[in-house]
Amino acid sequence: MLGRDGLTGLVVLAASLVLFALTLDLKDNPLVPLGPGFYPRIVLGLTAVLAAALVVFDLFARRHGRPAVRETAARNYRLVLAVFAVFGLYVAFLPYLGFRIATLAFVAGLQSTLEPPRGWKGWLVVAVTAIATTAVAYLVFERYLLVLLPRGRWTDF
Amino acid sequence: MYELLLAGIENILHTKHLLPLFVGTLVGVVGGALPGITNTMTVIMVLPFTFGLEPLQGLSAMIGVYIGGESGGLITSCLLGIPGKPSSIATMFDGFPMSQKGEPGRALWLGIWASFFGGLLGGVFLVGTTGPLASIALKFGPWEYFSLFVFALSMVAGLTGDSITKGLLSGAIGLVVTVMGNDPVFGAPRLTLGIRFLEGGISFLPVLIGVFAFAQIMSDVEKMRVARADPAASFVAPKLVVSHAKVIWEILSRPFLLVWTSFIGVLIGVLPAIGGSAANVMAYDQAKKLSRHPERFGTGTPEGIIASEAANNSNIGGSLVTIMAFGIPGDAVTAVMLGAMTIHGIQPGPLFILQEPTLAYGIFGAYLVGHVLMLAILFVGVRWFLLIVTVPKSILFPVILVLCVVGAYALNNTIGNVYILLLFGVIGYLMVKGGLPLAPLILGVILGDQIEINLLRSIMTDANPWLFLTRPISGGLLAASVASMAFAVWQHRRHQRKSGVAQEAADF
Repeated sequence: MLGRDGLTGLVVLAASLVLFALTLDLKDNPLVPLGPGFYPRIVLGLTAVLAAALVVFDLFARRHGRPAVRETAARNYRLVLAVFAVFGLYVAFLPYLGFRIATLAFVAGLQSTLEPPRGWKGWLVVAVTAIATTAVAYLVFERYLLVLLPRGRWTDF
Repeated sequence: MYELLLAGIENILHTKHLLPLFVGTLVGVVGGALPGITNTMTVIMVLPFTFGLEPLQGLSAMIGVYIGGESGGLITSCLLGIPGKPSSIATMFDGFPMSQKGEPGRALWLGIWASFFGGLLGGVFLVGTTGPLASIALKFGPWEYFSLFVFALSMVAGLTGDSITKGLLSGAIGLVVTVMGNDPVFGAPRLTLGIRFLEGGISFLPVLIGVFAFAQIMSDVEKMRVARADPAASFVAPKLVVSHAKVIWEILSRPFLLVWTSFIGVLIGVLPAIGGSAANVMAYDQAKKLSRHPERFGTGTPEGIIASEAANNSNIGGSLVTIMAFGIPGDAVTAVMLGAMTIHGIQPGPLFILQEPTLAYGIFGAYLVGHVLMLAILFVGVRWFLLIVTVPKSILFPVILVLCVVGAYALNNTIGNVYILLLFGVIGYLMVKGGLPLAPLILGVILGDQIEINLLRSIMTDANPWLFLTRPISGGLLAASVASMAFAVWQHRRHQRKSGVAQEAADF
């Protein structure tokens, strides 16, 4: 059975081998000795060797009875997943809703996810933070620093 | 040189440069005082604001963040026993006990003044060595550059994390990121997986922002709703009145300690990727070893505070030397600065100080003036900065992530960079969970293109691969790479034998 390091090594090994196989399709140029695949093959080969070494070391360590890395403190992985999901939705809808609407929804959504608001005061804090963040970011970047923030394809706003 | 330096300082004292430097320093102090918000995170937040500024204005703001952040972290370390960031951990060992003994003002101002003097000593090194080191680097050909970058990467891989294999693997993953996109010789698309956006390659800034922002935010999110009550919540403002003359004398009456620990800070700053936390802890360790009363360390001795704070501020000077002389970032903050420079079309490296003297000496000026501003800001507002710890993370994190999105998007106004940000946010978090250090990944992404270009250039100039070893500087650098890895292996084994536990990862 593999430990954390072994699994990490295995995933990286698989990815590097797939990419290495893709470099074999790259055509060399007859005019120069080094084609576009020369350097990527070195790098991916090195990555594959190191990933394989990580797997081997992990197996070796387990055979010699070294303890696996264990987390001691309690972790809230559900909340991590939720934060990634909220951020993923923000990124996905940003080009469709535009910066202002998407950011307003994101800030309010993420704040509520991280700490569900209690009572009307909690909701007021969420609303004020979301509106202030969106407004300040929009005014500073678009008006003052001349960064053209994304407009929504659906909203044109 | 001194005329140029004076001109640089004068330039910085103009309102258009002084204002961003002041704001950057203020933001840095605030970010530094916030537990869990590192300098990297603060400088990432400031980055998008610098896009619309002139290069020196933007760099001044970032240098301000760096200086302010290194000093701001000591506030909560000394007064609350919560390090504002990793590079203030050792400051807490004696700062907090001193506060608990009823001398919070002395603990705090010893740290602030030591930061100031350490920073100035780092400045002497920065101004004095950048030019000569750049002159040496000017003699480099593609073989030497290749070997230098390999050396930097191997050193980072060896010195961060708990295993050299993981460090090297992380660096190699960084190099893989740079081979995606068109090849540098013919522009042939490589490993783009059919995604058009990838043909232009992956910019390192969205990668850096994604990796560091998410790795840090998510490790805090993991602890939310499961952690015990925050000690900052029950915070009562302490009395901070102190005689500054006495505090300054306490520091200056220990000249060897100040100079030696500042030198340690500079040295660690010069080495790529070993950030202020290593400088802070190593300087503390040195001060303890050199002390006649090592048993007093940890009970509120001034030496502990002076050593750790002088080192983490002088560390900034060392980090700036590496980026300005060689184009290699000394840590994550200077990596972001490198990104900001490239956005403005400036290439840091050996020619930087010759081609951009106004900017280079402006940076020196910003560094020196920034320390004075840091002192002034803390003088006026130290009591207020303590209130910052009460800001909930549920408000901070959404704001930080919005700024990360704007920073990635504004690089070249494409949503593709925001997707890269998200992708590498996930990859960075998974890497942390998989035990892979992030610093080598970032350095791999930054140096990958240059490693490839110099490797191809050297082989196309002369196909003899032995030249990498027989050219003295190149051979020396490759030998140093091997030596640094051998040292790292020895160090890891010794540490494991001694403690039986894995080594803590250094910050980048």
